[in-house]
Amino acid sequence: MSGLDHVDNYPEIPVSLAPTSTVLKTGAWRSVRPVLKTRTAPCNAYCPAGISIPEYFDFLTQDRLEDAHSVFMERNPFPRITGRVCPRFCEHGCNLAVATDEEPLSIRSIERWLGDHTAEVPHPNPAEETGKQVAVVGAGPAGMAAAYYLRRSGHKVTVFDRRELAGGILRYGIPEYRLPTEIVDNEVRKLENMGVEFRTRLALGADLKLEDLEAAYAAVFVATGATGQRSTGIAGESLLEPGLAFLEAANRNQVSLPGERCAVIGGGNTAMDVARMLQRMGAKVTVLYRRTLTEMPAIDEEYERAVEDGVEFHWLTLPRRVTKLGAKLLVTVEQMRLGTPDESGRRRPESTGIMREMRFDGVFSATGEKADTTPFPDRLRDAQGWLDLDVDGATKDPLVYAGGDLATGPATVIEAIVAGRNAARAIDAELGFSDRWPAVSPIDTVSPAEVNVTYVPHHDRADDPPAVTADPFAEETTTLTAADVLEEIDRCLSCGYCNSCGTCFVFCPDGAILWNNGPRIDHEFCKGCGICVAECPGHVMVLVNEREVSHA
Amino acid sequence: MPERLLLTGNHAAAYGAMLARSEVISAYPITPQTMIVELLSELTASGRLDAKFITVESEHSAMAACVGASAAGARAYTATSGQGLALMHEMLHWAVGARLPIVLTNVSRAMAPGWSIWSDQSDILSQRDVGWMMLFAESVQEAQDFIIWMYRVAEQVFLPGMVGMDAFILSHTAEPLIVHDQEAVDEYLPPFEPLYDLDPAQPRAYGGLVNRDHYFELRYKIYENMERAGQLLIDAGEEFGDVLGHKYTPLEGFMLDDAEYVLVSAGAMTSNVRQAVRDLREKGIKAGLLRVIAFRPFPVKQIRRILGGRKKVAVLDRNMSAGHSGIFAEEVRSALHGQSDAPPIYGYVVGIGGRDVRVETAHEVMDDLLERDEPEMALFVGVKGLPIGPLRADYEIRPLEPLEVVR
Amino acid sequence: MRWVVPEAEHMAEGTLGCQGCGGALSMRLVLKELGQDAVAVLPACCWSIIDGPWPVHALDIPVLHTAFETAAVVATGVKAAKTVQGKDTTVVAWAGDGGTFDIGLQALSGAAERNEDILFICYDNEAYMNTGIQRSSSTPTGTWTTTTPDQRPEARPKKDIMGIIAAHRIPYAATATAAYPEDLERKVQNAVAIKGGMRFLHLLSVCPPGWKMEADQAIEVMRRAVRSKVFPLYEVRNGRDYTITHWPDDLPLEDYFSLQGRFKPLLGNDEMLELVRGNVEERWQTLLARHEASHPASVGSN
Repeated sequence: MSGLDHVDNYPEIPVSLAPTSTVLKTGAWRSVRPVLKTRTAPCNAYCPAGISIPEYFDFLTQDRLEDAHSVFMERNPFPRITGRVCPRFCEHGCNLAVATDEEPLSIRSIERWLGDHTAEVPHPNPAEETGKQVAVVGAGPAGMAAAYYLRRSGHKVTVFDRRELAGGILRYGIPEYRLPTEIVDNEVRKLENMGVEFRTRLALGADLKLEDLEAAYAAVFVATGATGQRSTGIAGESLLEPGLAFLEAANRNQVSLPGERCAVIGGGNTAMDVARMLQRMGAKVTVLYRRTLTEMPAIDEEYERAVEDGVEFHWLTLPRRVTKLGAKLLVTVEQMRLGTPDESGRRRPESTGIMREMRFDGVFSATGEKADTTPFPDRLRDAQGWLDLDVDGATKDPLVYAGGDLATGPATVIEAIVAGRNAARAIDAELGFSDRWPAVSPIDTVSPAEVNVTYVPHHDRADDPPAVTADPFAEETTTLTAADVLEEIDRCLSCGYCNSCGTCFVFCPDGAILWNNGPRIDHEFCKGCGICVAECPGHVMVLVNEREVSHA
Repeated sequence: MPERLLLTGNHAAAYGAMLARSEVISAYPITPQTMIVELLSELTASGRLDAKFITVESEHSAMAACVGASAAGARAYTATSGQGLALMHEMLHWAVGARLPIVLTNVSRAMAPGWSIWSDQSDILSQRDVGWMMLFAESVQEAQDFIIWMYRVAEQVFLPGMVGMDAFILSHTAEPLIVHDQEAVDEYLPPFEPLYDLDPAQPRAYGGLVNRDHYFELRYKIYENMERAGQLLIDAGEEFGDVLGHKYTPLEGFMLDDAEYVLVSAGAMTSNVRQAVRDLREKGIKAGLLRVIAFRPFPVKQIRRILGGRKKVAVLDRNMSAGHSGIFAEEVRSALHGQSDAPPIYGYVVGIGGRDVRVETAHEVMDDLLERDEPEMALFVGVKGLPIGPLRADYEIRPLEPLEVVR
Repeated sequence: MRWVVPEAEHMAEGTLGCQGCGGALSMRLVLKELGQDAVAVLPACCWSIIDGPWPVHALDIPVLHTAFETAAVVATGVKAAKTVQGKDTTVVAWAGDGGTFDIGLQALSGAAERNEDILFICYDNEAYMNTGIQRSSSTPTGTWTTTTPDQRPEARPKKDIMGIIAAHRIPYAATATAAYPEDLERKVQNAVAIKGGMRFLHLLSVCPPGWKMEADQAIEVMRRAVRSKVFPLYEVRNGRDYTITHWPDDLPLEDYFSLQGRFKPLLGNDEMLELVRGNVEERWQTLLARHEASHPASVGSN
């Protein structure tokens, strides 16, 4: 205090003259300082697209739908689609589920809500036309995602597809009850509205030559999927119906049941779709799978729904031979047993030699599809016939890229979208534009040991409610309500992303967390007790040694 | 119009607190003070006095309640005695440091053990150094008026003050009392304008941690204001006369003009000393009386002027500071120190624990004073088996005799 | 998850509370719901220091410092003056456990018995911390302090101050802790809203140096005190109607004690630990029975 150098300047009584903050800079007591540090949430890290999930959740809670949407669209242009069919990679990493007995956040359901509530939001027009033309071959999820990001970058995009309508696997492979065609139509329309040109009934190889495209376009991205039927190795294979072809025909309303009793061979997601579609068409379906449920690659959710639909599963059952027996098909199956793990870590089925026979009206194979790389010259393929690609999908030819199931074999929609986005950003860069699209997520994922689950409200996880409908082909689930979404987000720890929950602010004994719609640490007064770091639900704060700070 | 009543000192004090328009009164019973708060309880209950009356659970709390009330800007009053005043001690300091013009009446009583409710000024004089102003009343009228006079000064210097009144001799003795007209008192004593009042619009801390860099200056201001109170007491005493009809002064003389032998006294026993002086004058002895009314601030300059050049001075103390002397004697002695015409000061300790101080007692003192050549620190009057004289030089403690058990 | 706690700050930064001070946090949170027409009376306690040396002050309400044993009665005096002046100011006595359980108990009991129109808040750190960790009658069994050393840890249970207060039949008394800020804020609101009588809040307030623990565990340790039933959160209206406001979840006592070095003597003494376990359970059952008697229709509900 100035002026207190003479008794006359003193008040009569020891009465305060100023707040403590004017004199006592208690920040000097500190040996460690809390620092706000945005890190990666495991949901974000587990998401192939690297979507900043806590960030868009935060926007949703602030009633900032447009901002939430735009954060999402940076990584994935089709939340309505992946919000329905994604196998929820994100949820498998949810720290809440690892650190507690709670179920993981219902992230996909929230994504679906976001997609549905932004369905009519037009895609942004490119800021500036580049004058470059890019060809995309294949109008499935990879091609559509590539088209979206290329177009947003200002390039003219033409998407070719062999079928009569764009959509690929989304339209022809995934059953209506899981992904209504109307949604795919809408996505195609939105792409068209932003200037993407679709040219259909043009197949690569037959109607289009790769070298012509290379000559006519600044860049080419090929994503024609994996729809070829892989050999099953079963004697009498020609008697089997290919599963994917069946699904396509079913989506076109062009199939009828071969009879009441049907078998599906395989344990992947296509097998589940085929089985469930058949069941919905009125068949009694048995899935024949050579290993057990534990090893089955289909996602749990699809398996569970198949069981709910009434599909039966025969485990450790390997069809060896199919023969015709009058109107029926006689399937000879071998009983298998589990042996040592294979390279995927799953236990290998081994022969027992025990055979039995089963009778069906129709038998469908869904043991895996293969990519058709024959339209590519040999110089672009490896010894096994796979395309020889770098991480972004670049072939050995300049500005020719490939991705999606074509490159990887059958995978998920989200992985195809990521491939399309990766190729688009690589092409954009190759065409001479700097890094306009951020690449992979940053590392430094928040671990379950770091989060503080104390403040998570305990209530049931919000999954997509079942639809109330008599139509077996109508969409089987509905979208959450906005209230459900907000309540569900309430459970989110917001790992690594400050969602302004206020925990640090509330518990600071020194009032050294200043609040203006979010925290700011006032290092002039923060004593470094570390409460904010210990209590932060998502561990968005870390303690840094003061010595390191001053030397930095 | 002023009212004339026959009242005890205690009831007069209650009227004093009422006329002063005390706003918060805390009360804890202790003999012989209890009648003060009993009457205030009635006066507040009946609405004659508009004040909050708090029946606290101890004298310490009685003073603490006054501290809180005064700090919040109210005129606060309480009354106590003996043990109660001792228990208040910590909060007496607090009232000073917080600069709160609280007024209390202390009905002086001897300290236990053994239990004694009788007159003795040791209780109030034990609080000599806390920083309260102190006035000693001699009459029922003064028991009332000094409260008003005290508030008048206290609220100018923001220091508390206590009015001493002797147990029973004054507290329980009825005398005629002029109860002043309230409007006149209001003219004399304006509403309390506090230095601070804990206004939430002024969010300050009062009385917090003060380090060595600042404490001295804050205390210095207290000493200065106590000093200032000396003149203010004179002024306010004069004004009391102008407005309310009786002038008060920090010191009061009787037959002093040509007195060679001066008796110094305070409180109710002064009345008997005064009678003795009259008697002595009739006998031709040039005796005089100096009554000390204001003990804090102590009127040092006036005492030097008044007592300078006298032949002998006897100070009568109804109290004593063991290891030294009677406290008034000590104070008078130190006031006169170094003065070339300072008279010898003879300290007399009288009436401890309520033993009567009669006119005869004053005569005994005067007889001793006239005979004694050398002054003594403390001469004890009336200790059984001993003549008036100083403490014995040799003395041995006798152990307790075993009890004779009677069955 | 978002906290519903007022944003406005009424405590300045730069207080002299130790790192992780529960007393400072309690004050900060209480002020958020106390309102601006309020005065605090502060007896000797950590807050005599925390508020800062003259001439500074941390709060945006007036504070009257007073002697150790006088919080309740000085507040009474302040309230009396405010009443005489026709003001409706909330007068708060803010005392530590020493100024409440020990030296302040007489004045507290007096004010409670007279049902003075004041709010008495005890921030309880379970020992004389400001003087350097000496036991008080709030210190729980098995605790180390400088006057209950390892060789002779605190033998007696913590004084049941809420029982004492409830016995005065005042309109409102409640326990709370900064680890449950919304519960705390609601109780401050309740206490402020009840006019004309005495209100009492008992706030468990962590003292990391005195409890011999890491400052960053300050909130967690208070939370564990509640979860383990060591410090249940409840309200008592008129000394009779009990309401448990947060249900504990059977966290083992050891999980509370083991965070704190002061309980080292307890954790090394099975006999004493069982005694404490019995006391905690007995007190909980007593509280539960009172809650149930006050809420016959909703027994055991959350």
